[in-house]
Order: sequence, then C-alpha cells, then structure tokens
Amino acid sequence: MEEKKEYKKISYWTVVWSQFSKNTIALWGLGAIILLLLQAIYVPLIALDVPFYYSIDGKTEYPFLMELFNQNRFENSIDIFFNTFMILSPLFLISFFVMRKMKIAVSKILISLCVVLFAVSFFMSMDSVNTKKMYVNYKEIVASAIKDGRQADALFPVIQYSYREMDSTAQNPQPPSSLHLLGTDAEGRDVFARMLYGTRISMTIGVVAVSIYMLIGIILGAVAGYFGGSADLWISRIIEVVICFPTFFLILTLAAFIEKRTVFHVMILIGIVSWTGVARLVRGEFLRQRGMDYVQAAIALGISRVKIIFSHILPNAMGPILVSATFGVASAILTESSLSFLGLGDTTAPSWGGILNIGRQQGKLWLILAPGFAIFFVVSVFNLVGEAIRDAMDPRLRQ
Amino acid sequence: MLAYIAKRILWMFPTFFAISLIIFLILNLAPGKPGGTLAGGGEGQEASGSNRESYRIFKSQFNLDKPVLFNTRYALSDREVEKCLRNFANESGKTPMKEVIKAQELLEDYGQYSIPALIRIVNKEDLSSKMMRVTLETLLQNAQRYPINAYAGRLDEKTKQLNDEIDLENNELRSYACSPDASKEVQAEAVSKWNAWYERTKGRFEYSPLQKISIFFCDTRFFKYWENLIKFDFGVSHIDKQPVMGKILSKLQYSLCLSVPSVILAYIISVPLGVFSAVKQNTLFDRACAVVLFMLYSLPSFFVATILLYFFSQGGDYVKIFPTGGFQDPNSEYMTVLQQIADVLWHLVLPLICMTYGSFASLSRYARTGMLDVIRSDYVRTARAKGLSEFTVVVKHAMRNGMIPIITLLGTLLPVIIGGSVIIEYIFGIPGMGQLSITSIYNRDYNMIMGIQLISAILVLIGILISDIMYAIVDPRISFK
Repeated sequence: MEEKKEYKKISYWTVVWSQFSKNTIALWGLGAIILLLLQAIYVPLIALDVPFYYSIDGKTEYPFLMELFNQNRFENSIDIFFNTFMILSPLFLISFFVMRKMKIAVSKILISLCVVLFAVSFFMSMDSVNTKKMYVNYKEIVASAIKDGRQADALFPVIQYSYREMDSTAQNPQPPSSLHLLGTDAEGRDVFARMLYGTRISMTIGVVAVSIYMLIGIILGAVAGYFGGSADLWISRIIEVVICFPTFFLILTLAAFIEKRTVFHVMILIGIVSWTGVARLVRGEFLRQRGMDYVQAAIALGISRVKIIFSHILPNAMGPILVSATFGVASAILTESSLSFLGLGDTTAPSWGGILNIGRQQGKLWLILAPGFAIFFVVSVFNLVGEAIRDAMDPRLRQ
Repeated sequence: MLAYIAKRILWMFPTFFAISLIIFLILNLAPGKPGGTLAGGGEGQEASGSNRESYRIFKSQFNLDKPVLFNTRYALSDREVEKCLRNFANESGKTPMKEVIKAQELLEDYGQYSIPALIRIVNKEDLSSKMMRVTLETLLQNAQRYPINAYAGRLDEKTKQLNDEIDLENNELRSYACSPDASKEVQAEAVSKWNAWYERTKGRFEYSPLQKISIFFCDTRFFKYWENLIKFDFGVSHIDKQPVMGKILSKLQYSLCLSVPSVILAYIISVPLGVFSAVKQNTLFDRACAVVLFMLYSLPSFFVATILLYFFSQGGDYVKIFPTGGFQDPNSEYMTVLQQIADVLWHLVLPLICMTYGSFASLSRYARTGMLDVIRSDYVRTARAKGLSEFTVVVKHAMRNGMIPIITLLGTLLPVIIGGSVIIEYIFGIPGMGQLSITSIYNRDYNMIMGIQLISAILVLIGILISDIMYAIVDPRISFK
C-alpha cells in the first residue's frame, strides 16, 4: 500500500503572519490602522451637518444621500471618493463573497472592485453629474420650524457639524464644550469634525504617495536589477543624482510654486522625489534573485521577461518592499503635515498639520494637542506595524 | 584607495551637472514669475509705464529674457513674431488680458533676434494702423542695444568707445519714434527710416553657422548660470541684489550654533544608551528604552516645538522662563560678552531639545544593533575568558567594532549640520539657513533657491564620500578594489 502523506501547505506569508500575530502590540497596531481606515470611510455617518431624515408637519425628506455628493459641502474630490466608497461598501462586500464562491482569485476580485470604485467616484465628481447644489443649512430649517410651533423631527449624525461649516456663534476659537467636543478654530469650525475628516486626508496622502513612489521605484529597480549592464548603469546614475536632491526643500519649493494646491499635488510631489530608496532596495533584491535556479528555470521555459519580473521574482522580493512601504506611509504623513504646518499644503483641506498651524498662531491648546497627538498616533502606529513585519520576516528572530 | 577616491570625486562632477540641470529646469519651467510681486511685473498689472520698464531691466539683468536651455531664436520666423504682434495689438479686442501680457513679454524677450522679422512685417502692405503702431513700437524697443557692462565700475577704452557708439545709435533710433495717433504719412516716413537703418546694419542680424551654434547653446539662461557657477559665483539674490554666497555664509553661523551642539548632544546621549541596552539585552531597561525611543522617533518635531513654546516660553501661559524665539535678546548689545553667551545659550535651549530628540532615537537604535552584532562574537568571548573586567570588554573591545556604523553616519549628517532645520528655525525664529530657505521660497527668489539647493546637493555628495572613506578607515576589512 502506498502511504499517502498529507503535507500541510505552509506558504512564506503564513509563516510571517504566524510570527506577526505573536506580537500583541503589533496586532493592536494593525487593528488601529484598520479602525482608522474604517473611520476615514464612514465619517459622514458620525459627523455631518445633514440629517438622515427630517420631517416638518409630517412631510419627511431624506437629504443625506444626495448631500454626500454635493461639491459645495465636500469641496475635496478625496471626500467624494470616500463617500462613494462608503455608499458602495455593502455592495462590494456582497460581490466579494459571491465572486469568492465562484472561485475567482482574491487579487482579481480586489483589482476589479478597485476599478469599479475609481470609475464610479470619478463619474460622481464630474461636473455634469455633480451639480453644485446650494448649501442648505438643515439645522436652521429644523430649528426655525420648531420655533414656529410646527411639528418637526430630525435625526442628525452624532456630531452635527461638518468640517467646513462655520458656527457663527463661535467665531473666536472656543474651548472644548459639550457642543464642540474639541472646541472650534479661528473661523468657528468644529475641530472634532475637522480632525475626523483629517484622517481621510492623512490616510490618502500616505497610501497614494507611497503607491506612486513604489510604482516608480519597483519598475526602475526591477529593470536595473534584472537586466543589469547598461540599463543598470544608467538607472544607478539617475538614482545617484536624485538621492542628492534635498528632498524636503525641493517639495517645499515645488509646493510653493503651484498656485492652486490640492492634496493631489502634495501626493504627487512626495511620490516623485522619494522613490530612490525603494529603487535601490528592489534593485538589490533582483540582483540577488535573478541568479537563482527558479529564475533560470523560468527563462528556460520561455516565459516572457515581463512575466518573470512581475509574477516570478517580484513576489519573492515583496517582503522588504512591504516593510519600506509601511515606514513610507508614516513618513509621507509626516511630510504632508509639515507642509501644511508651514502653510504650503492644501489650505482648503482639513489637514492635521494645518489645524496645528492655526493653533500655534492662536496659542490655543486644544488646537495644538488634538492634531499633534493624532499625527503622533498615526505615525507611530505605522512605524510599529512596519517594525513588527520586519521582525516577523527576519529568520534570525523566528521562534 | 586613492585611486578609488579620485574616481569618486571625478564622478561627482557629472552628477553635480545633472543635478544642477534638473533643478534649474524645474525652477525655470515652474509656473509663475521669479521675484514674485517684488519684481513689479505681477499679473493683472497694467502693461505699461515705468513698472513695465523696470521689470524688463530686471529680466535682462538676470538673463530671464533668454530661453531656458536651447536658443533657436536666430531663426525666428515671421509667423511667430506676427502672431505675438497680433495678440499684443489686440485688434479684435477679444484677446484675453493674459494672452496680451504673454505676447508682450515674448516680444520683449525676443529682443534683437526679432529685428529682421519685424522689418519685414512693417513693410507689409495690408497692415492695419493698430498693427503698424504696435510693430513700430516693438521695433523701437527691441532695436536699441544695451550698453556693454553698464554696471561695471571701470571700462577699457575700446568698450567705452563701443558704448558711446551704442548710445549714439540708440538716440538716433529714438528719433524714429512716432506718436500713437500719428497719421499714415508719418508712419510711412518712419518705416522708410527704419528700412534705411536696417540696410546699414543688416550684417549684424545675419549669423554664420558657427554663430548659430554658439547662440543655440550659449545664449541661454542655463549656460549663463553655469558661466558664473564655474567661478563659484551663485549670482545675486533677486530680492535685495546681495550675492547669494555671502548671504548664505552670513546665515551659516546661526545654523551651526544650533546643529553642531545638537549632533554632539545626540551622540553623547545615544551611544551610551545604545551600548547599555545592547549589553542588558531583553531586560526591563532595554525594553523601556526601546519603547521611549520609539515614541520619541514618531513625535513630529513641530508638535513638540509648539508644545514647548506653549508651556515654557514667555509667550505662553505657564512657566515663563524661556524666550519665545530668536537667536539673541534685542538688547544684547548692552550686555557683557559673558552675558551675551549666556543669552544665546538660553535662547537655544528649546530649539536644541527639538532638534536633538528625534535623532538620538534613531542613533541609539543604530548603536544598539551595531553593538549586538559584535557582542556575541568570538573575540569578545575571548576577552571575557582572559578575565578582563566587563567594562574593559565592552568599552575597549566590543565598542570599537560596534560603533563603526554609527560613526560613518556622521558623514551623511553633514547636510543637516550645515543646512539646518527648516521647521525648527521657522518656529523659533532663528535667522539661519532654514529660515533663509523658507523666505526665499516665499519670495520666489530663484537664484537663492538654486544656490541653496546646489549647496545642499554638494554637501550630500561630499557627505556620502566622507562616510564611505570613513568606513574604509575605521574598518580595515573593507577595501574598494
């Protein structure tokens, strides 16, 4: 009788995950990142000056859904994107499980869902679809109805302020109160709402800026490392040149030169100046991997170069890239908040650095502490997770 | 080793050239104008008057009227010039103001290169009176030559003579001017005068192939910038016309006062800390240290600076002991030398804290890992086996090798030491390099920005070289063969 041996499939990432999950603090960190992301997506449910429904004299209206795409209420396209995501997220969850049942690979599902998301949010932010509706103050409508003695009822989110809404009764910075949990800023805007919406800015900056420079770095590094020779020589020279740029100063200069700065400009700027580290890392990994047997086998099988680079070698080089990406998110968030702190960020966006800058100018403690600790928290959480991944992948530290 | 260093230094030149080219292109192709509002050519301003003329002089002074990288204006076609003229003349009255100003500026920038085309246009039959007037005005403006070396103190005889000739010709040209509401006959007379003048000076506007090549490469902003750079001249500031190099040197002392003590402090604190936590690995001390340092590493320095200012400065509401900012007391002239030193030190306490804490967090981790690498090696065990005291083993044997990575880091710190920290200097109002950088960015002082970027690029280049060399000196196992 032939003995059938059952081998449990243990992939590299399973090992890394089992190492990672032994680190309790890192798990908390990962949880915090997920919570932050969820918070970024679902802020309008927590803080917005639009009621889910309101009824005056028995006539009920549901303005919430439409107002999510009103560019007069959300002037940033980032917000439109996140709002789209928020609306579509239940659909996405359902379709994810349906497609999973149909045995479609996870990566393919994610990519297709991302494409759908981007397409829809782009469609939503188009001017022809998104007519800029009047800024309606629902709170006033309801309040005046009650004042007139009519029967009125409304259900607002927990925090009844949006990040742009200026409270006319609190034009000077107000200290925290039961009305404004973290007080208001110089223009009477609720700081807590601004902080919550600021998560969106920070998260997108981190993720998008890092994706941009990962893309540049991986492509250049892979080409240099895989092909070697003159390609390697030229790309290495380019890296040497770009490394010498005073990165932060260059970002500052370019940001100051752009007249109508948006958050996207800041992301692109961070992305195009800080790819050198990744490129060197990827180049080194590819130099190491391309001599290995499995690459030789792939070449012998006649697999195309692009496929070898991206689906054979790259997954094996992904570990160090992932670590550097996690640290990169932290440093991109720091860079963006420094820029906003110097007044060179997107001045319309509720960026944490911008709030801190106002706090410094006004000398108000609640305007300093709230954004400062938020930046500190997010940066340290990302650093923590990055470090934990690095330790989990280090074979010397394996238990 | 020497050959390696020589090779590295030689490689630095093309690298530096590429860096300067990229930064130059970025700055010059960026939207907006240099000098910002101070240059007096801001958008929306009326396109005439002395303001206009001063901006023209400003442009020619800083070579801003030249193309950025390549000059093809020797072959300027009539069509291009005519298009500009039409936009400038705004015959239909529908051209947006922005286009008009753009056309006017382009015409100014074309300068002498536009003369042949202008002469040909002015002789056209079907020119409207408005076009005629604009063309004549442009001709008058562009035909006049600038005297050579107008700003130099002393000129030799030959240049003087040449300048006199130029003056004479300019005077003559000015007499060709006709008033804006001149009749057709007066204009026709002016045209014939221009034709006669052009007949005489035609040779000046015909270029030989060699001349064309030299114009193509040399009559450009980038070439003119490099012409000065070769002489270590970074030009003068667009704002106050002071030499860039002098301004940077005068700001350097303030930044050095802050960064040198900060680096020394960081090393003094972080090396023992790192060594100690490596020796006591996995003890409570080591873990506590790691946690605290990790938190410090993630704390944004602008947040800490703001908090410190809020709680410990005279501008805040709590412990009013430290000054709110600046490098020294405004009344420091009346103090004795000792008092002055104490005053400066007192001003530097808060910025020093902010500048130091972040770097010693990362430095001591380097020290710890460096130490951990050697502490288990055989030679350390041998030293212990010989019966040496723990102190001798750690300090004399292990530390020598364990500190190699942290020493070589010094080289890469060079740009930080000299360049200072933009954010800290901005918050504490210290008039150093960082402050200079940010004000030059706000003022769009291109030469200053360029100078600072290039100097920091040079410092990075030198810093990398130094750390590589130090690596080889400290660790004889490394060779560059």
